[in-house]
Amino acid sequence: MEGSSESDGSKLSRGTFLKMGGAAGLALALPASAGAAVRRVAKAGAGSISVVCEAGGKAELTKIAQLFQKQTGTTVNLVELPYAGLYDRINGELSSGSLSFDVAALDVIWMPAFAGALHSVDQLFTPAVKADLFPSLVSGAQIGGKYVGMPVFTNSEILFYRKDLFGSSKEQKAFQSRYGYPLAPPKTWQQFDDVARFFSRGPKLYGTDVKGAVETEWLAHVLQAGSPGVVLDKSGKVIIDNPQHQAALAFYANLHNKYKVDPAGAPQTDWAAAQNLFQQGRTAMMRFWAHAYPLIPKNSPVYGKVGVAPMIAGKAGIAGIPGPWYLSVPEKGNNTALAMEFLKFSYDHNALAVQSSLGLAARKSAFAHYQNQPKYAHFRPLLETLSAKATVGRPANPKWQQIVDTVLVPMLQKSVTGKADYAALLKSARSDVQRLVG
Amino acid sequence: MTALVFDRRRATRTLLWLLLGAVVVLYAFPFVYLVLTSFKLPTDVISVPPMFLPKTWTLANFHAALSAPGVPAALLHSLEAASISTVLSLLLAVPAAYGVTRYGTVPGQVFIMGALVARMVPPVAIGVPLVGIMNSVGLNDSSLGLAIAHTTISLPLSIWLMASYLDAVPVELDEAARVDGASRIGALWRVVMPVAAGGIAVTAIFAFLASWNEFLFALLLTSIHAQTMPVVIANFQTQYGLQWGTMTALATIYSVPVVLLSLFLQRRIVAGLTLGAVKG
Repeated sequence: MEGSSESDGSKLSRGTFLKMGGAAGLALALPASAGAAVRRVAKAGAGSISVVCEAGGKAELTKIAQLFQKQTGTTVNLVELPYAGLYDRINGELSSGSLSFDVAALDVIWMPAFAGALHSVDQLFTPAVKADLFPSLVSGAQIGGKYVGMPVFTNSEILFYRKDLFGSSKEQKAFQSRYGYPLAPPKTWQQFDDVARFFSRGPKLYGTDVKGAVETEWLAHVLQAGSPGVVLDKSGKVIIDNPQHQAALAFYANLHNKYKVDPAGAPQTDWAAAQNLFQQGRTAMMRFWAHAYPLIPKNSPVYGKVGVAPMIAGKAGIAGIPGPWYLSVPEKGNNTALAMEFLKFSYDHNALAVQSSLGLAARKSAFAHYQNQPKYAHFRPLLETLSAKATVGRPANPKWQQIVDTVLVPMLQKSVTGKADYAALLKSARSDVQRLVG
Repeated sequence: MTALVFDRRRATRTLLWLLLGAVVVLYAFPFVYLVLTSFKLPTDVISVPPMFLPKTWTLANFHAALSAPGVPAALLHSLEAASISTVLSLLLAVPAAYGVTRYGTVPGQVFIMGALVARMVPPVAIGVPLVGIMNSVGLNDSSLGLAIAHTTISLPLSIWLMASYLDAVPVELDEAARVDGASRIGALWRVVMPVAAGGIAVTAIFAFLASWNEFLFALLLTSIHAQTMPVVIANFQTQYGLQWGTMTALATIYSVPVVLLSLFLQRRIVAGLTLGAVKG
């Protein structure tokens, strides 16, 4: 009767554990199920729409949603999900046809994958609307001849630099004597190389970072080099090993392999790591998404010492990879008219998105409205980068995310591991991409 | 000779302690690092090279985490879903395991093997159809719906655990209760379950933890009214990076109830884990 003795010796008497657990569970189960029913009735009764969005981008929509609710009486439920989870959730619901949302906020790179299940928003793209949007945002919204999303905000990498270092007369003199021209925020690849090498005095200070774990920055350099597209051209042909891709890879990887202007760990360096290195004062320059400018923490040693400039230029001039997000309505949604009304409202009140923690918008006029305020000093370089001729979006290919994850990032990681053969890496990447796109 | 035996014993014991220490470090390190990170300043959180101890201790991450919208509600939703799922798992697993162990029929054996096979199905394969099912019965975005989904994960393991524990309880106990006039259910409730209480506690903890930490179903099935903490914690990973400080602070807070529960039921867990070992 070992079991009995064990039972006798316990602090919980016979079945107390079960009773307590059962009672607690039932106490929670009943209100939870009743609550679900009440909520369903409430949802059916009042006008409401559900908008699924990425956690970081929710703030962009909050003020717009509040104003929409105030003016129309329609409740807007913003459902916040993690970046990767949002794709899975939308993908699952669109493929099963069982939808819990009326509007979805989509990253531009997901648009081709979901376009077939999205409602046309052609009527919203009037000539006036197109004129107030960057060309890359208009082209990113159009898949297979139909507009499937209304831009909410966009972003691009620009150049961040240390004003205190660039403004130091001692540094200016030393730079001038070594390179024969004045120290200033670099505008070209050559200047970027020079300045990065000049400030590399490791381990406390390096010229810049080299991000081996993300692909967007290298793609921006590909456009700067004059490539007609990144990885694929407009017709879908694989061009990843063309001379412009090769030149961009050599410029990008040589910063680490040849000039050694970055801290150790290039293959693992991603956005967060690069931002952190800069905010710790470990790098003199950083190519990074513009929104980060007002987000430098007050306890950072570089707080108040950071300047911003447009993205650097190659042979084809300045170029960046735009990172727009769109609002889209599912084709089989239950609330299409209201959802479309919200899309139009969001565009009309796009400037409200600037007053958020991310602080970005989609319309040129919204950016222009704020660009002269010191807090928004990053808007002018952002506008210049986004308006540059060479700036174009990523290919509208449903396999794009897969190309990034399985080909581009591994290839970049290999390129920053010492004696990499750039041409061979791109040739191998070409066959991998070819296999994926068919 | 005695001294030699004593020395050998001491050496063995030291070696075992070292091994134990290594295993503890291996398992505990990620959690300890997470807790320490939650006390670091934003610039120290992912400093290069990483720092183990915070340079300056701060509670700012905890303040930011607890002030984030939806956090208290998510904690309550997690508790609701985990409690309901635990009760459902036990309500179904205990009678199922009792039937399988006491009747010993071929269909019973097939059933228990089937339960194991169900455990091998990738959750994502169940998740997408569940979205449609929960929508059609109006349980989408509810704790009850999520708890039912979580029960599909915890039930197979609960049945297996309970079967092993009930197998260790002598059939003679049931027979004695039946001789004294108890029904089958009465014997299970009054005699078998108290003896297997340790096993039930272990099963309950596993079922609770399966729901408490589950992410995929919570991501697919909840929006506002039932979103649980694992999704809210993951929300700190945005397209532009990870808010390590706030994320680790919230993860630390979220792990406290589970740690307390495990400590509170420690005796039951030990008793439950050894129950199957004295079968006979």
